[in-house]
Amino acid sequence: MTSEYCKEMDLPLSPKGVIAEASRCLLCLDAPCSQSCPAGTDPAGFIRSVRFRNFKGAAETVRENNALGSVCARVCPTEKYCEQGCIRAGLDKPIHIDRIQRFITDFEDATEMEILKRGESNGKNIAIVGSGPSALQAAVDFLCYGYSVDIFEKQAQAGGWLRYGIPEFRLPTEVLDKEIKRIEQLGAIIHLNTDIGRDLSLDDLKKQHDAVILAVGASAGKTLPMFEDNPCVVTAAEFLTEASSNKGEVSLGDNVVVIGGGDVAMDVVTTLKKVGTSHVTNVVYEELFEFRASKNELANARKMGVTIVDGYEPSSVDNNTVTFTHRRIPGELKLSADKIVLAVGQYPVVDGLDLDITNGEVRFEGYRTEDPKVFVAGDIARGDKTVVWAVKTGKEVAEAVHSVLEGEE
Amino acid sequence: MIQKDLSINFLGVEFPNPFCLSSSPVGNCYDMCKKAYDMGWGGVVFKTIGFFVADEVSPRFDILDKEDTPFVGFKNMEQIAEHPLEENLATIKRLKQDYPDRVLIASIMGANEQEWEDLARLAEEAGADMLELNFSCPQMTSHAMGSDVGSSPDLCRRYCQAVKRGSKLPVLAKMTPNVTDMCEVAIASIEGGADGIAAINTVKSVCNVDLQKKIGMPVVNGKSSVSGYSGKAVKPIALRFIQQMRSHPSLKDIPVSGIGGIETWEDAAEFILLGSGTLQVTTGVMQYGYRIVEDMKNGLMHYMEEQGVDSLSDLVGLATDNIIPAEELDRDYIVYPHIDQEKCVKCGRCYISCYDGAHQAIEWNDAIRSPSCDKDKCVGCHLCGHVCPVGAISFGEIVFKEGRQGDRRIEDIRL
Repeated sequence: MTSEYCKEMDLPLSPKGVIAEASRCLLCLDAPCSQSCPAGTDPAGFIRSVRFRNFKGAAETVRENNALGSVCARVCPTEKYCEQGCIRAGLDKPIHIDRIQRFITDFEDATEMEILKRGESNGKNIAIVGSGPSALQAAVDFLCYGYSVDIFEKQAQAGGWLRYGIPEFRLPTEVLDKEIKRIEQLGAIIHLNTDIGRDLSLDDLKKQHDAVILAVGASAGKTLPMFEDNPCVVTAAEFLTEASSNKGEVSLGDNVVVIGGGDVAMDVVTTLKKVGTSHVTNVVYEELFEFRASKNELANARKMGVTIVDGYEPSSVDNNTVTFTHRRIPGELKLSADKIVLAVGQYPVVDGLDLDITNGEVRFEGYRTEDPKVFVAGDIARGDKTVVWAVKTGKEVAEAVHSVLEGEE
Repeated sequence: MIQKDLSINFLGVEFPNPFCLSSSPVGNCYDMCKKAYDMGWGGVVFKTIGFFVADEVSPRFDILDKEDTPFVGFKNMEQIAEHPLEENLATIKRLKQDYPDRVLIASIMGANEQEWEDLARLAEEAGADMLELNFSCPQMTSHAMGSDVGSSPDLCRRYCQAVKRGSKLPVLAKMTPNVTDMCEVAIASIEGGADGIAAINTVKSVCNVDLQKKIGMPVVNGKSSVSGYSGKAVKPIALRFIQQMRSHPSLKDIPVSGIGGIETWEDAAEFILLGSGTLQVTTGVMQYGYRIVEDMKNGLMHYMEEQGVDSLSDLVGLATDNIIPAEELDRDYIVYPHIDQEKCVKCGRCYISCYDGAHQAIEWNDAIRSPSCDKDKCVGCHLCGHVCPVGAISFGEIVFKEGRQGDRRIEDIRL
């Protein structure tokens, strides 16, 4: 039997259901949804295609824009992007754009469409460090421009945070594997277990490639000074990676306190519930009205029975007992737990990459570093830390590199 | 719960309410008709009986969808009853014994004058209250029967005469819409002795084509056939034929049993207002079951209450005189759209449709996503109002065309 952790939580729309949902769409003029996607997705276009039963055309619209269309359909916080602009919301509720996109990419998969086409070779090659969403998207764009692409991934499998961070019940491994396979079939060569800075140097890559893209992501979990060296504490990244690597066979005890209120924190608390943790208490710095996690993720956490305590920050810790202070109201909260999970952000590991990172990002706008051959993308570039934003940076870095290399000709 | 008298006298027969099953798969045996009577149907037109016993294909139906709405239209390949005549006559007899207060109409179909005469006699002997002559089934395997007959005024006249020789029962002639002029056939039927008209039977159709197999639907061992189309999609066609008959000088006030896409009380009321004394339903029942009669009856009672009407017959034909030839319509004024900016959700659909389908009269303010009407270009067609998803566009200012007002006042225009 598939464990709760491994079972995809959201059900797909049926063929009739997707037509019904697409028929709710008002088919707006200059549709606001299509102006609200960081990655430049055109939901108005693909919803109209579905409405007029052109599923193949819909798949082209999704895929030609987004190499991770199937992933984004499942993990994108659409309420903050396309669905925020949806005019239908003024009547009742926005169109479920993510669910329509998922139907389309499932259709694309089921009918084995091969939409992306590799460009004619221009004899140049690109090295990409990291294999998360920005890296994968950049790889596809480079391939379409005509470059050859080598991806270097330090882990045993590609995907970055998509594989080691986002839990299986939100993004099945099978879906990710298919996206990556598609990109490999297009021509990307992925070198696994290859840590740049240790196994190979950045200089090696620069010598062998026309440009190097650093898309290493922010895979390490932050901690807070008071929790350092505390054996009762794990970071969200550590926990989620362990859960993912062990297909949900993981336990932190029966009573876990999770500190943090972003989407990663929601992934932690829902994962804890999915793996059978009885008591999950989520203490969040923000109050509910200023919550950072997407409404959908928050709703799922609540549905699963996670206790959410909002407005508190940790003030002291004694072994497994944390004291929290309310940020605005005088008062304290003292909780003891089997384990404490810190979901208070992540930072990039850039040893040996000669990058100046401040607050998890490079300090410059755009993608080109001081070294003219080296570019950045993904979480270490400036901007949102979402998958769709990573896709955007992947597209933009490829465009930037392409215009530089074309200029050299 | 509201109680109003829905009874109506139609061709001298007292119907407890106007809702009848039409002659079709929905009234094919004793158990079906019993259930329909028990659920409150006023009458049943029993599935057409004849000496011909149908041999049917499988599958035999198809549906037309639009967006997520199934059964916009329905295609049916069934012919007349597949039970032997004796069995059908016995069923009619038993139904009439068990439900003496409900109306049972025997639909009959013969292949020649003698058969028509015999069937009429046999149906009367079995206890039917009325006869309906099926001149209109479009999918018969014999061209001596069905809509081929119904498009010939001469055959209709002669078969009505034959029926009248065989029976004293009131007679409805059921029309096929697969003709250019239904009036001609209806007049011939009345001349032959029919007392009223039932309209319409199904419209000849090819509903869908399977794109992979390249065969019409439904596929019967690699082939398909043209056959009858029904359901909501044919309602406008049915109403048009009824209107044309009821306003024809030779057919004025002819009793009509209305058929074609009725599934709500509003559909029913429309047929009544255009002159139908009784109503017949199949497709709605096939999709939803006999229970739909409950809301049709209750809704119609509420409508009567709203209209201050105590007898259903007072509503029959009230709209007939308000449908007139196009050349007689008032063409002297324009009514401009009124856009309610509070209701408007700023989708821009009015702009798109006005530009691409009308007169480029909706102006679109890109910055605030807001439509407005340019009266210099607007012709008052109101396509904008029809496409508005929230009903924000209504009738606004009325203006007479240059020099066309005469001594009339704006207030006299009835929108």
